[in-house]
Amino acid sequence: MMLKAQDYKSDVKPVWCPGCGDFAVLSAITKALAELQVPREDAAVVSGIGCSSRIPAYTSVYGFHSIHGRALPIATGLKAARPDLTVFCAGGDGDGFSIGGNHFIHACRRNVDLTYIVMDNEVYGMTKGQASPTTDAAWTGSKLTPEGPGVAPFRPLEMALSAGANFIARGFSGDPNFVVRLIVEAVRHPGFSLVQVLSPCVTFRPEQRAWKETTHADWAPESACTNRRDAFLKLLDDDGFTTGVLYKGNNPVFGKPQAATATLEELEKGFAL
Amino acid sequence: MNNLAEFLAHAITLEDESAQRFDELADALEVHHNGDVVELFRKMAHYSRLHLADARERATGLDLPRLAAWEYKWPGAESPEAIEVFDVHYKMTPFHALTAALESEKQGQAFYAHIAETAADPGVRTLAAEFAAEEADHVTLLQGWLARTPPPEDHWSEDMDPPAAVD
Repeated sequence: MMLKAQDYKSDVKPVWCPGCGDFAVLSAITKALAELQVPREDAAVVSGIGCSSRIPAYTSVYGFHSIHGRALPIATGLKAARPDLTVFCAGGDGDGFSIGGNHFIHACRRNVDLTYIVMDNEVYGMTKGQASPTTDAAWTGSKLTPEGPGVAPFRPLEMALSAGANFIARGFSGDPNFVVRLIVEAVRHPGFSLVQVLSPCVTFRPEQRAWKETTHADWAPESACTNRRDAFLKLLDDDGFTTGVLYKGNNPVFGKPQAATATLEELEKGFAL
Repeated sequence: MNNLAEFLAHAITLEDESAQRFDELADALEVHHNGDVVELFRKMAHYSRLHLADARERATGLDLPRLAAWEYKWPGAESPEAIEVFDVHYKMTPFHALTAALESEKQGQAFYAHIAETAADPGVRTLAAEFAAEEADHVTLLQGWLARTPPPEDHWSEDMDPPAAVD
């Protein structure tokens, strides 16, 4: 029997703020699973901490709501141990690019076959609205940084491309059916896939509702760059609101280790004093 | 829209997603004890489900195409009767909810009316016109409700304990 998107939702009701963009991302993930017809017992969603990291509870596949910034190593370990699973990692910009920033770099570099969905709202929502790594330097919406964070925002796509991610895309939660396509393509493409989803925080960044007007789907999936040079050149012209698939690479994917070529006894002989 | 099966595949998804969105919004507002709007959204979800059942019945015996989410021919980013996720607020009033619901019904009506005018298949044109007329009835109904609903006070979104407070 065909599974529908609703079949991938759990009975747990999201406690996100009404109007949160993450509702649309949850819907996109479940629609993508339905499109791929992944058996529920063959998929897992691993997350860190934050509003968006609550997402595993809202799906009916295996889930692990883990610790702050550590979702990627856990997802990497899961995929290495169970390569048969379709593994998603999900979270926010603070969790993924600040607390888990180093894990993000090395997950791109290892290129394990998993899909990382980052719901980027440029703010720490769960802790009431502080500047995150992707917040604009001049944002004065938090009393903790009344004159703005004053540092250049992290550029996730440039970092992913530099570090070796094999598939890089950006979507907008206000265009959820396109996000479905990005997730489906990300899962189908081998290696580490980053899907950054601009997902407004209507409580602490209500002005982000205007992203509906500023996003533009100019990276057509069918004409994604296949070499890094072209992708970097595209990023130089990117205003941060281009959506679509930036890059589909062909980097070697981390796989199962080779089968043992010697027995333990034979190996021990090499260390005999 | 090329044939009846494709049209009904769209109609079924339109009503299904409309019902799901109304329910999702009702669930989200229930957390904030916004009972009046919850009740209204539940009612709208119920109506969408009635239409969904009707569309499914009409599709009996037809081999509907299996479309990926991005393959539907919607006029916008989502199916036309799904209220946009961002168009809600935890302190929204029934007036706001009815305004949003009315907009979604108008979009649904316009979608069907456009197909009724442009489809090549006469069967599709007839059914689309029928659906457009039903949606027009809903638009009239919602306009009536809205006329009887007091508009919100100027400071409807004021919250003495706002989530954005940083002390």
